[in-house]
Amino acid sequence: MEFTPVLRSEWLKIRTLRSLPGALLALFAATTAFSALAGVSDASDPGFDPLFTSLSGVLPGQIAAISFGAMAVSSEFHQGALRLSLAAVPRRGRWFAAKAAVIAVPALLTGLVTALAALLVGRAGLGPAADTLSTGEQTRGVVGCGVYLMLMALFAAGVAALLRSGVATLSLLVPFILVVSFVIGDATGTVADFLPDKAGQLVLRETYDGTLGPWSGLAVTALWTAAALLAGAWSVRRRDA
Amino acid sequence: MTSIEVQDLTKEFGGRRAVDRLTVRVQPGRVTGFLGPNGAGKSTTMRLVLGLDRPTAGSATIGGRPYATLHEPLRHVGALLDAQAAHGSRTARDHLRVLAASNRIPDRRADEVLEETGLASVARRRVRTYSLGMRQRLGIAAALLGDPEVVMLDEPSNGLDPEGIVWIRRLLRRLAQEGRTVLVSSHLMNETASFADHLVVLGRGRLLADTPMRDFIHARVQPRVRIRTTDPGALESTLARHGHDAQEHPDGHWTVQDARVDDIGRIASAAGVPVLELAAEEGTLEQAYFDLTGAETEFTAQHQEA
Repeated sequence: MEFTPVLRSEWLKIRTLRSLPGALLALFAATTAFSALAGVSDASDPGFDPLFTSLSGVLPGQIAAISFGAMAVSSEFHQGALRLSLAAVPRRGRWFAAKAAVIAVPALLTGLVTALAALLVGRAGLGPAADTLSTGEQTRGVVGCGVYLMLMALFAAGVAALLRSGVATLSLLVPFILVVSFVIGDATGTVADFLPDKAGQLVLRETYDGTLGPWSGLAVTALWTAAALLAGAWSVRRRDA
Repeated sequence: MTSIEVQDLTKEFGGRRAVDRLTVRVQPGRVTGFLGPNGAGKSTTMRLVLGLDRPTAGSATIGGRPYATLHEPLRHVGALLDAQAAHGSRTARDHLRVLAASNRIPDRRADEVLEETGLASVARRRVRTYSLGMRQRLGIAAALLGDPEVVMLDEPSNGLDPEGIVWIRRLLRRLAQEGRTVLVSSHLMNETASFADHLVVLGRGRLLADTPMRDFIHARVQPRVRIRTTDPGALESTLARHGHDAQEHPDGHWTVQDARVDDIGRIASAAGVPVLELAAEEGTLEQAYFDLTGAETEFTAQHQEA
């Protein structure tokens, strides 16, 4: 089977389920709203990082990116949906690759737009406190943020394919991001730096210390994502539909 | 012409054999009824043919090729496995367009099959709002999307209204007349009898019968003659003289086992027995099916378990 028709079909699936474009809209709205709130916060904290503060809306906003990835995959595990999909596209590896592609591209594009908007509203709120940011840092923050959101959506997609359930995926990842990572994440210089979300979030910071830098941190997240996608692909290929 | 070939097919789920060394060939140009109680392995066999489940042993092919190697499979094989498979939030038309796109089938075909299945007026409604019968029609529409030579439908009459039942019967007959291979599973005997030419019967994953439907019934159910008379005494003694055993029923009619109307009519006429009614009682598929399954001890045992 050729890849392009499969890609078209998967893209049509994303477009025709209201909840999926809705999740991307929520990603944009939640991230910019929380960044706007963060922008008017106190900038006198010694650990203040204007780039991270501006983009901090991503922390709650990423839940929408995760939901997008998880739901795009879990919609296949309702009733006999997967059987119908795999009867149409029996080459399972190709099918899953197309699925990942149609999650990645919209998540990346929405992520970039969202990050830019978040930075603008965040900076507007911070005023002169954000003037130290260089163009390079801001570009890195926006691009990195878009890539980070795409990676988180794909990470969730891989987990959802492995667990075959959106509910199970979200009840695993959302508490993880909100609680585990938040609680132990403050302890820098530990293994917590290598958690999928913590590592990738380094790209959102103006200054950083520790083993990982912004891009190597993002690479760690990419490794997590690759592992989740491989596990998901293995599950899709190997198990009975 | 494309047939479905199943060779020594076996599928185990955690040690339980759902399909047990099944060998059968489903031929084009006729409707093959796929019978057996729940859990006999009908749906599993269909999933194995579609490459959705991996066989423990054996093989299933479509026109000699494994399903997974078909280039654009919906153009060769159309299947309805589960009417609930369509996502409730999508419209029926979008559901079909998604399937069509993956096999490079033009959107026009989606509109055609919606028309054909009587869903054109509700095509832009979300599937969530559909009744079971409408979902069943949508599932059939999806199966017909690629104009396939092989059509496999799992319990297509489920949830259909009387009008829908007549519609599906005609549709199946037409598909077979067009030379397609049509495999339809069911546990409704009278329904299957109304459209099938050929029968494949499974019990506990094993093949119990693979014969033309008429032969299946005739081999298992003795023909009977129904007769009514104003002179029961004369009828009984006349028939007894010719070696026929007649039984009287409370409502006054008689049945003669293992007999044909031609013979009984002549005998009664020659003896001058007044006849009010004379008819052949054909065996039904249901009778033949229970005769077969009753003979299968394992099969009955499984029934009791369930």
